[in-house]
Amino acid sequence: MNVDRALGMGSALAAIPVTAASWEYGIGSFRTPGAGFWPFCIALAMLGLGAALFLRPTPAAAVADGAGSRWRPFAIGLVSLALYVVTLEPLGYAVATTILLVVQLRWVEAYPWRSSVTIAVLSAVISLVVFRTLLKVPLPLGILPLPRGW
Amino acid sequence: MDTLGFLFHGFAVALTPANLVYVFLGSLVGTVIGVLPGLGPTASIALLLPVTIGMDMVSAMIFLAGIYYGAMYGGSTTSILVNIPGEAASVVTCIDGYQMARKGRAGPALGMSAFGSFIGGTASVVAVMLISPFLAETALKFGPPEMFALLFFAFTCIGSLAGKSKARGLLMACVGLLLGSVGTDDMHGVDRFVFGTLYLRDGIGLVPLAMGLFGMGEILYNIERREETGSILETPKNLLPTLQDWIDSLWPIVRGTALGFGIGILPGGMPAVASLLSYAVEKRVAKRPETFGTGAIEGVAGPETANNAATAGGFVPLLTLGIPTNSVLALMLAALMLHGVTPGPLLLFKWPDVFWGVIASMYIGNVMLLILNLPMIGLFVQILKVPYGILSPLIIMFVMLGAYGLNNSVTDVLATLVFGVAGYLMKRYGLEPAPLVLAFVLGPMLENNLSKALIMSHRNPAFFFTRPISGTLLTLAFLVLLYPLAMGGWRRWAAARRG
Repeated sequence: MNVDRALGMGSALAAIPVTAASWEYGIGSFRTPGAGFWPFCIALAMLGLGAALFLRPTPAAAVADGAGSRWRPFAIGLVSLALYVVTLEPLGYAVATTILLVVQLRWVEAYPWRSSVTIAVLSAVISLVVFRTLLKVPLPLGILPLPRGW
Repeated sequence: MDTLGFLFHGFAVALTPANLVYVFLGSLVGTVIGVLPGLGPTASIALLLPVTIGMDMVSAMIFLAGIYYGAMYGGSTTSILVNIPGEAASVVTCIDGYQMARKGRAGPALGMSAFGSFIGGTASVVAVMLISPFLAETALKFGPPEMFALLFFAFTCIGSLAGKSKARGLLMACVGLLLGSVGTDDMHGVDRFVFGTLYLRDGIGLVPLAMGLFGMGEILYNIERREETGSILETPKNLLPTLQDWIDSLWPIVRGTALGFGIGILPGGMPAVASLLSYAVEKRVAKRPETFGTGAIEGVAGPETANNAATAGGFVPLLTLGIPTNSVLALMLAALMLHGVTPGPLLLFKWPDVFWGVIASMYIGNVMLLILNLPMIGLFVQILKVPYGILSPLIIMFVMLGAYGLNNSVTDVLATLVFGVAGYLMKRYGLEPAPLVLAFVLGPMLENNLSKALIMSHRNPAFFFTRPISGTLLTLAFLVLLYPLAMGGWRRWAAARRG
């Protein structure tokens, strides 16, 4: 499907729950607008623009095709980022960041093991020291056995 | 105190040792960001915003402003040397700048780009200084209807200037407005679109949104579609343009300054638009337009001047009306608010240190950048030699760090990742994130002023048009909205008549 048509349809469909929610918040009147008045106006604009995009006579530029796409590294990169969010607090900043960087360098960017591990460990440790001690950002320490108060 | 007195006061603020260091750091970081492809000023400012929380308010603004105009200086380096724009405003510089480099004239191209940037940037700062006090005094007379009309006008301009498709730009702006309405409503105390979560009650954060859409989205896109340039980088020897180069570039620089400043103060007037228009104008007025695309120095001087002039011009609506005209300035507005400053016409009178300190720092920064850029070109070439495969994971690390450091919360990191995926999809399918971010910032202001104005209207729908300023602004806004439709209809009608 053409991107504009998909966008138009998506926008018009999204406008339905927004309108329903606006109704629930209370649209109010022209003189005394309620909390739902503004989202209701946005929903109307989305509906109008969605219809305009869907009914557009000339199709817009073609969708980006799959040529030149690196799907495998992309998927690995994305999964590693999602896991990073989950493990940041339990494992701590230094460990989680080292793992993230090793995955990114070794499997996404295809660097050798030795360079990947060296760059990852150095970057994680240096950034931890700079941000925790100099910029006072309380990055989570997690499983790292560091003295209390560091 | 008159303008000159205030300016001297601004220099007294900007010339303190700490602020001088921040001007230098901002300009340097900005230049490096401009040099590096894939990390624009929006993502970088979003990334560094949490770091500025601990700084003094004036120093933070000086630092962030330095990054913004520094990025405009640095962006031309990659365009000229490797045919890859460091950021969007340097896209057109690739056309003639890279051709000049291929002919062995990379030095004069870089030199003229730096001189043009300096002249455009400095002249524009003078204009900002002269116009802003007058505009701020006028804006003090604005009530909710006028502010609503002004914001609505800004909103329509964003949609019209963003990307190739106006409808897509406006739709993205609507998404931004919707995201901006998430959280507890200020006027009625009702929770909107929070889905029972505590995190969303305060609304979506601008920093995770901007870092995700611009920074993370760009990186994910680059992971999926890596383009190797294979260019061999050499440090150019002679950077000074010849007398003929100066003669050829004089008028493009003058026109670029005027055009850039004019575009910069308009809502939606991004430096990229200014450089693109400048290139089109130079090609149209050139005596030998056929030389454009083959290494014409006018094609470098005009756009590079215009994007720097637009950068400074954007500070007029930001500092006097509290209206950001592009996504970078939207983040600077967020920085002001983080420091407890209320952006708007009162900023000039209540926080003169911020306004005049930033203005003075821009003069100093432009001089620093001119001095920095020419002798340090060898260093920037070395930075360009660092493989993107190493830079990309490090940028990811800094984006995650910046997201966490904002509120020391993993939820912000998650939000950045979610918006990063959205940014990647938007880039993949040709959707502009800038109108979304701008509408996200303008939305709550627009809603607030609309509600107040409607209460004032006493059920009179013509109320907005009975007040001269709001009437004029709303008429202009409708003209901006209807102009493309009218032109399209006219063209179809003319085509039908012809054939």
